[in-house]
Amino acid sequence: MMELIRLTKAYKGVPAVRDVFLIVREDEYLTLLGPSGSGKTTLLRLLSGLEKPDAGQIHLNGEDVTYRPPHLRGLGIVQQNYALFPHMSVEDNVAFGLRYRLIDPVTDEGEVKRRVAETLELVGLTGFEARMVGQISGGQKQRVSLARTLVTRPKICLLDEPLGALDANLRERMTVELRKIRETLGVTFLHVTGNETEALAMGDRMVVLDKGSIVQADRPDVIFSMPSDVRVARFVNTYNVLEGAVRDGEFQSAGQAMTLPEYARGSEAGFYAIRQDAVEINAAGTVPGPGRTGLQATYIASEFLGSRFAYIFRMPNGGVFEVERHLSHSDPVTYKGGEACSLSWNLSDALVFDPSGAALETTVFKGAA
Amino acid sequence: MNQNAAIRTLLALYTALFLAFLYGPFVVMAIISFQQGPEGGPQFPIIEWSTFWYKHVLGFAPPSRVAPLPIGEALTRSLTLAFATMVVSTVLGTLTAQAFRSQFKGSGFVFYLVVLGMMVPGVLLGLGMALVADQFGIDRNWWSTAFVLHVVYTYPFAFLVMLAIFNRFDKSIEEAAWTLGVPPGRTFRKVTFPMIFPGVLSAMLFAFTLSYDEFPRTLFTGGREVTMPIAIYGTFAVEIHPNLFAFGVLTTLFSFALLTIYGVLMSMSVRRARLRATGLQEDVA
Repeated sequence: MMELIRLTKAYKGVPAVRDVFLIVREDEYLTLLGPSGSGKTTLLRLLSGLEKPDAGQIHLNGEDVTYRPPHLRGLGIVQQNYALFPHMSVEDNVAFGLRYRLIDPVTDEGEVKRRVAETLELVGLTGFEARMVGQISGGQKQRVSLARTLVTRPKICLLDEPLGALDANLRERMTVELRKIRETLGVTFLHVTGNETEALAMGDRMVVLDKGSIVQADRPDVIFSMPSDVRVARFVNTYNVLEGAVRDGEFQSAGQAMTLPEYARGSEAGFYAIRQDAVEINAAGTVPGPGRTGLQATYIASEFLGSRFAYIFRMPNGGVFEVERHLSHSDPVTYKGGEACSLSWNLSDALVFDPSGAALETTVFKGAA
Repeated sequence: MNQNAAIRTLLALYTALFLAFLYGPFVVMAIISFQQGPEGGPQFPIIEWSTFWYKHVLGFAPPSRVAPLPIGEALTRSLTLAFATMVVSTVLGTLTAQAFRSQFKGSGFVFYLVVLGMMVPGVLLGLGMALVADQFGIDRNWWSTAFVLHVVYTYPFAFLVMLAIFNRFDKSIEEAAWTLGVPPGRTFRKVTFPMIFPGVLSAMLFAFTLSYDEFPRTLFTGGREVTMPIAIYGTFAVEIHPNLFAFGVLTTLFSFALLTIYGVLMSMSVRRARLRATGLQEDVA
């Protein structure tokens, strides 16, 4: 178990990581989602000991390791650019940590070979032992980098955007494999990514980072359906986020008025979010039924995404509003460009955030607590 | 099209001139070294082609009025000095460049301090060193005072070469080794050094050749036992015979031989790595 306590780091006065408090549990897949520049790589470097924090502490299994050098921490890091040793074969790359580490090196060459072979098999690279790293593909390099770390049995394996440089096909396969490998070994993975789909799909738990601080940490399904902050709603990339204010008991945005869900009535609201797949498209002028609300928008274009269609609308203030329709759910409808439509949704699907961005507590939430 | 051809001709001419200036002196030297001896001098035309001067340099020629080159000991001295200078300068240069990978206080000042060693005119440095040595009653020898100045002179070159190498070095590779539990010292030996080795070789080459034909600094600080360049210069004072040219040709051939061996070794190791890889590719397929 690793605890980060008020971890803070700035570069030349610009804060990169601010007051981060996080507990990384045993045997879990933790994903860390943040846009570029949110401090996620810095956080990983602080954990692995490659950077020293300005303030705060890192505890590893109860021990303070804040200022311990990287080679004494027993953590592994898989870097974004793989950072393989170019002058060595695949086998020597993987064996490197076992052979030369300070604590508990493996001196028996037979044992080294056995463990390397075992790990290469785990990542699906059996038979590649003697290849030089310059002669394998990007996906294979990634696996070598992972094997090189996993063979040392790190307490926690840190992965810095491990799928970032892979093509879509390989990325999908690695997503499944990484989870499988982790479950086989029981090692905690801390996977940093800028891709919301990756973070949602892979994590047992997920942390959302923005501007160096943690915005929300929870199960991916909770983060997806109940973002605690409007920034989280934006990062997961499936919400239409409207900015505005409450006037006369209604949410005013883009020159239109929307009814607030019951739990938000009487509160100050600054943002209104509705999931793209919870919106219905009707002919212009259709009045939303009871328990529903909506707005008027102009259809611009649609995008075919395989199993679903994305319809893109323009709101009167120029903002974009996206609606997603699954083909298993309904047949695609063709609209004319510039056609006015009426969009509506169930009030219970709407999320409301106060002007600072924090989610207003829903009654569902209160009931659960 | 026309313009392209003109540019090509111009560049070809430029290259030809460059090569002529680069190899011209050597070709002349090589031709004259085959002059008839011992009467023939360093002039055209060749009286008669012979290998007399080569025999003379190597000590096989019958005694004649031309004294043998005093090169035996001087050559050993020069090579020893160049070798020692190479080792010390390369080690120092690599370590200093390693220090410069992270910004430290006063790094700018230290940089200029190091580089000063190759900027200050050699004659001044040699003279200064000689004066200081005399003041403090230190004997001037090729292995003491001259050696120090050779290091002062070649160390900045080695440092600059290594600085350029480290500039392109991907630090994340070292970081990967540390996070695998390997301490920094061992990481340097097992990862950093093998990767910067081609750079270290160039630094060594620089240090060796600069020290080997160093003149002004050695002249003032080398003491009585002279090095090769000083010994050769000493023979100029009397009369120039083609034996010098024969010696020049021999040393040049020696250098070429070394470079060839180096090249062959390099290409062999590259080929071996490639063989290993392709051999395996067949297994996989």
